[in-house]
Order: sequence, then C-alpha cells, then structure tokens
Amino acid sequence: MRIFNPSFGMAAAGPAKVTLQPVNWATDAIALISNSKPNARELLEGVRAMLGAHRPVDNIHFHAKNSASQPAPKELIEKVAKNYKAALLALGD
Amino acid sequence: MKDIADQEVIDIGDMDVEAFNEYANEQGWGDGMPLFVPTEAKVAKFVETVRGDNRPYPPVPPRQIVPTLQSLAANAVMAGCKPEYFPVVTAALRGVLDPDYNLHGTLATTHSCAPMVMVSGPIRHELNINCGTNCFGQGRQANATIGRALGLMLLNVAGAKPGEMDRSTQGNPAKFTFCFGENEEENPWTPYHVQRGFAPTDSVVTVMSGEGPHNLNDHGSTTGDGLLTTFAGGMSNPGSNTIYGKGPMFVIIGPEHAATLKRDGFTIESIREELWKRSRVHLSRVSRENLVTYETTGHKPDGDWLSIGRDPKDIHITVAGGPGKHSAFIPSFGGTTVACTRIAR
Amino acid sequence: MIATETFKPLVLAQAKARKVEPRLIVVKHPVGGLNAEELRERIEAATKGLTEATGK
Repeated sequence: MRIFNPSFGMAAAGPAKVTLQPVNWATDAIALISNSKPNARELLEGVRAMLGAHRPVDNIHFHAKNSASQPAPKELIEKVAKNYKAALLALGD
Repeated sequence: MKDIADQEVIDIGDMDVEAFNEYANEQGWGDGMPLFVPTEAKVAKFVETVRGDNRPYPPVPPRQIVPTLQSLAANAVMAGCKPEYFPVVTAALRGVLDPDYNLHGTLATTHSCAPMVMVSGPIRHELNINCGTNCFGQGRQANATIGRALGLMLLNVAGAKPGEMDRSTQGNPAKFTFCFGENEEENPWTPYHVQRGFAPTDSVVTVMSGEGPHNLNDHGSTTGDGLLTTFAGGMSNPGSNTIYGKGPMFVIIGPEHAATLKRDGFTIESIREELWKRSRVHLSRVSRENLVTYETTGHKPDGDWLSIGRDPKDIHITVAGGPGKHSAFIPSFGGTTVACTRIAR
Repeated sequence: MIATETFKPLVLAQAKARKVEPRLIVVKHPVGGLNAEELRERIEAATKGLTEATGK
C-alpha cells in the first residue's frame, strides 16, 4: 500500500550565507538582547556586571524585542547587525 | 519526525489500520487519537476539491517547508475529514499563515493557545457544521475533523511537535480540535464575516490563536446592561495573555443573551465599547512584580487600570450556540491577529 | 545565546529550520520566576559559559 507522507514539503530557499567577522570579546561592542520575558534582562545585566572584571562594559548595550510574543522587529535586527560584531541573546523562560 | 528529504509517497506494504497507526505514531505523525490511512486514492479525492485554488503556499513556520497539496490532504485524510471539508481546512491554513497571525510564536510559545476555527456563510449548512447547541463540543464530524486536520498540519508540516517545537506549559484540549460555525440565523446584528467586509453569500473561515472558551453564565440578568456587567467581569482577568501580550479576543454571545442585548438597543459597536470600559483590571488585582514587567514592556496602566487589549477593536463579537443563558469569552495568545479567508469554491 | 536546558531542544529545532548554528550557553531551568538570589547562580553559570566559549 502506498501513502502520502503528511510531513512532506519542499525546502524553502535558505537565507543568504552570512560571513561572520572575527570578534574580540575582550574589547568589541556587544549587543545584549532580551526576549522580553521576565528575568532575561536581569540575567544579561548580571553577565554584563561580571564581565566588567575583565573588560570595559561601556560598549555593551541592552536591546529587547517589543514583546515576548512577537518576533524581533526587522529594524532591531538590522541595527544590531550594523553596529555589533557580537550579540548575546537570553531567553527568560 | 524525519525531515524534508522524506519521500512524498511511501510504500508501507501490507498494513492494516492498527499497524498503520503504530507506524504513524513511530513517525510522530499523530495526535494520540486513531488516524485514517492517507492512501493515494483517498488523497487524490481530497486534492480534487481544491483544484480551483492555485495560489502557492509560503514556507510554513517554524519548520520552513513548503507543503504540497498532497501532504496537506494526507493530514486531512488522517484526521477523518470528508473530501468536501478540505477547502475549509486549506482556508484555515491560509489564515494561520497570515504573517500577523504569528504562527511561529503561537506554536513555540509556553502559552496554551490553539487555533480557533470559525466558519461563516452558506458552507456551514452544506457541511453540517454545528453552529447551535453544543457548537464547541462533540457530536459532528465536520467540527471534529476540520479542527483536527489543521492541528495535524501544524504538527506534521509546521513541525509543532510537543516537547520540542511546541513548548506549551500545559496545552489545551482545544489543540485536538476547535472548530464551530457562527449562528448567523439567530444573530440579531451582522454576521462576523460581513463585519469583516465579506458578502453574506461568501463562505469564510476565521482563525485566531486562542484559549478554549471561558463560560460566561448569566441566568439572572434581565437587561443588556446587566449581561455586559457579567461579561466584563468574566473577561477582566489579570492572568490572561491579552493583558500581558495585548491582542485580540472573541466574545461569542449565546442567542438568548444576544436577543436581550438587541432588545435593549445594544449594537456590536456599543457592546464592544462597554466591554472595553468595564473589563479593565484594577491595579489592586495585579502583582507588584507583574506591574514592573508590564511597564518595562510598554504596557503602562491608565490611571489605576490596565486594559485587556490595545483598544475596543480588539474585542471581536459574534453569536453562536443554542438555547440557554450562556455566552463565551475566548482570549487570544496576545501577539496575533484574527485572520479571515474566503473559502475557494 | 543563553538558554535553559529545558528549552535547548526548541532552540536547536528552530536553528535547524533556519539553517543557522547558534553558539549555545546552557544554564539550569528556569530563569523566569527566580528571585535575585536564585538568579545569581544562572548569571554565574552564563558568564562562565560565555568566558569559556569566547576563550577569555
């Protein structure tokens, strides 16, 4: 007996291949991005404070989605891509 | 679940229904209830019913694959649909693929949301969809299997496997199926799909990522004003996603409550305005920690009150159900929309 | 990305669908609902994970 596969589908065209730039985690600017769930921001604040023992933190900046239930807006993604070589995301679940 | 490299057609040999169910569950294709076998012949009958709808499907998030009509039909067959239900199911799928529906978020969330499917227009009677007594419950093949087919598509095509991509903390029985029809015949105002700009003769599917129906019992009130006090009290919930994430919600008014509201001069618009004002949540009912969260995510209170949506238009209203003094409140996931799709015929 | 052990399968499934390979720092579950004292352990674990992952 032959059946149709209910999970079959064609692969969507993938995103363009991104070439990552080398990051110096001791000096480069870092974007800290919260998924806007409670404690994600607090977790990142704590990490930032602890990093302060090893590196400057005035170029480590906080960003967040508008809502925990919505995807990150395109403008935020573009802003982070344009201004940072490194990003650290936290899920506050 | 195996990935897109899978064959579209699989030769499963000489299996009976029980063996097929074992096999399907091993593949992760099932929702826990028995499945029908998606044979080539059955799938072909379903595909024939949507030949008039040639619009391509976009990649389905979160899994990001583009389904074929055959793979979609296989899910409808497995759910127990009749072939003539398939255009309703595909219209519902197109609705949840509206970018503003936020399918990725609604499937991966810890919230309990499930796709609410409401059918409007002549097709309700053609397919024997229950719009009256027990419309949210068991008893009709169309209600039971149309909602189930959409759920299976979201499992198998979208990839919403519980515990992996579907992270709902507790889930919701509506994830098995949640499909009903509007009771247009006992709606003293305008049917929902007409409110949304469709013709009364159009058949339309409306989807919203919602919780199950919350009952609004009012046997005592004899006025529309009294009913709205009860409705608003039931909606005013500091634990709802619509206060946390803001977004749409449905109030499905039972026909007897609707008749009382109409008698007292209320319209859809005035009901919406009254419910918006009266369903606000007083800050004394919200925890201090949650208030901090709401403020930091841009949901500041208005004086001593928090609203349960963005504005009165977030409250969607229609009529369904049968005799009795009950209505229902269906809050949504929050970050989603109410999407309507005309059924291609 | 900092995620809890419980949500690691979701992150991996979504990354696979989007054909990306995030560098994951996994901490104990949960993060939400913890008080400041409880969260301290997650902050230390995340910082240790970041330091190890970035070689600093």
